[in-house]
Amino acid sequence: MSKNKTDIGRRQFFKTGAIAIGSLAIVGAASNYLKANKKNDIPDTNILRPPGAINEDIFVSECIKCGLCVQICPIQAIKLADIDAGLDYGTPYIEVRSQACDFSCDSLQCVETCPTAVLDFQQFKREGEKAIEKYDKEMAGKQMDKNYNPFKVQIIAMKEHVKMGIAKLNTSTCLAYQGKGFSGSVRDSGFDGVNRSPYTKDRKATPVVDKKYSSDICDICVKECPIGEKAIVMEVQSDGTKKPKVLDACTGCGVCVMVCPTEEPSIIIEPIKA
Amino acid sequence: MFNLFENPKNLPPLPAKSKEEMPHSKLGIKYKEWHNNHENKHKWRNKRWAVLLLINGLFILSFALDLSMLEGSLSGSRLMGFYLMDPYNALQTIGISLIQGHFPNLTMNFWIGLGTIVLFYSLVGGRTFCSWICPYHFIAENLEKLHDYLVKKKKIKEHTYNQSLRYVFWVGFLILAIATQQLVFEDLNFVGITSRALIYGPGLILIWIIVIMIFEIVYSKRFWCRYVCPVGATYGMIGKVSPVSIKFELDKCGYCTDCQDVCLVPHELWFVKKGAATKEVHYTGSDCTRCGLCVDICAGDALNYTIKGLEKLT
Repeated sequence: MSKNKTDIGRRQFFKTGAIAIGSLAIVGAASNYLKANKKNDIPDTNILRPPGAINEDIFVSECIKCGLCVQICPIQAIKLADIDAGLDYGTPYIEVRSQACDFSCDSLQCVETCPTAVLDFQQFKREGEKAIEKYDKEMAGKQMDKNYNPFKVQIIAMKEHVKMGIAKLNTSTCLAYQGKGFSGSVRDSGFDGVNRSPYTKDRKATPVVDKKYSSDICDICVKECPIGEKAIVMEVQSDGTKKPKVLDACTGCGVCVMVCPTEEPSIIIEPIKA
Repeated sequence: MFNLFENPKNLPPLPAKSKEEMPHSKLGIKYKEWHNNHENKHKWRNKRWAVLLLINGLFILSFALDLSMLEGSLSGSRLMGFYLMDPYNALQTIGISLIQGHFPNLTMNFWIGLGTIVLFYSLVGGRTFCSWICPYHFIAENLEKLHDYLVKKKKIKEHTYNQSLRYVFWVGFLILAIATQQLVFEDLNFVGITSRALIYGPGLILIWIIVIMIFEIVYSKRFWCRYVCPVGATYGMIGKVSPVSIKFELDKCGYCTDCQDVCLVPHELWFVKKGAATKEVHYTGSDCTRCGLCVDICAGDALNYTIKGLEKLT
């Protein structure tokens, strides 16, 4: 009798076990199908991975979706993707038009906090160390600089090493290209994005809508770029007009996209495959 | 002392107690009187719920108010700067990273977090995580009552499966992660999804949770937790060696099996049935979530928390 009972138990286990394996196979096939049929493995325009993201294929498979990068970002630029976001569920992304990364943490915390190093901090650490070394070499024998701040040297080098994407201008809608200026607030009053302008002494980022601009030729993207003249400049054309031009050092942080006053941003970020 | 490898289930059962040996006879009272003698009915349950709500509340508040106490989610977190890692999630990550060559890049924090969790839960008992931390458990524990009510009213039939099914899923999802080189299970993980939904706001993915929730109510009690969840299974494996356990003393037991009725994993209390116990003292195994429901309900104080090996000192 008891043998019979265990027999039934075993049969039931094999039956349900077979169903379990079958459902696992379906899950596996489905995830493989989704992976193979994804439109592109890099996110859409203006949607970026956080700084330091490694190759997208490895990124999505090794990101454990813990959300530590989301937590640490002082301006909450990073969000976790829901299933309808077109990205892998739970992976972090930055949507630059609504909140760009303005580097106001000054230390790439999101990268440093990542436990599986899909946001790889080592490259930035090396870059920062190199910058300090170089600075020390340059200063050797010279009189000590009163304003010397190794942290600043380091963070600038680290910031410049970020490559989330590259900015592209839409010359047909850009105000400067049409010779127009801009005055007032760049975004609608309901906009809640924040930004720390490079020219202010504010340590904290402030709401974008609070800032009032006024310029004869719109140059807000150039003014607000956290990287500065290495990344974007107002280039004087042969006819004397000034137009913004994106340079190689652009990190793709997206601040320019966030502060662009045209209805559809006249500057976009194209993500770069790491 | 306890022996890790000896299975008390295989020993010959002790003869059932006679009426004179029953705890109520010893006390000189009637069985019914003894049986109704429940004090502090929800002592451990309340403590446990408080801990569960505190932990998950800390997660939520850390993000909402920028408290920096307990950051991240149950997949991976930082407790005041100290990393903690979900072991099954970590295991899949290690597997995938070995294939992709990302393995050397895994940070020291990752290993510290994994080590801390493994050490902690091997001390306090693996599936303790389930009833004391897991936010889905809190929902399911209460939905369980609805399910029991429906079964009692004969609206639905109970469906049970083999407990070993989850090891099929445990191995299966691990193989799947390595084969597809994606954390496939994390898209289905109840612990991760509910935790993230609580902290970072709900999303469409909760549909999946609700579907299984309904399935658990109307078809099979605690289906996900008992037969699927590889996170719980991992904690169960880690907790095999745990000294913290529930101790059962046969001489205080009145065979009422109330404990088994409230138990979240009733097969762990196999020894409370009349004539089932093989020893005078039994300890619950690795599936026991150390929830304390049995401790709360036992009229004879036959079930208690214990730390094996330290009993003689107290």
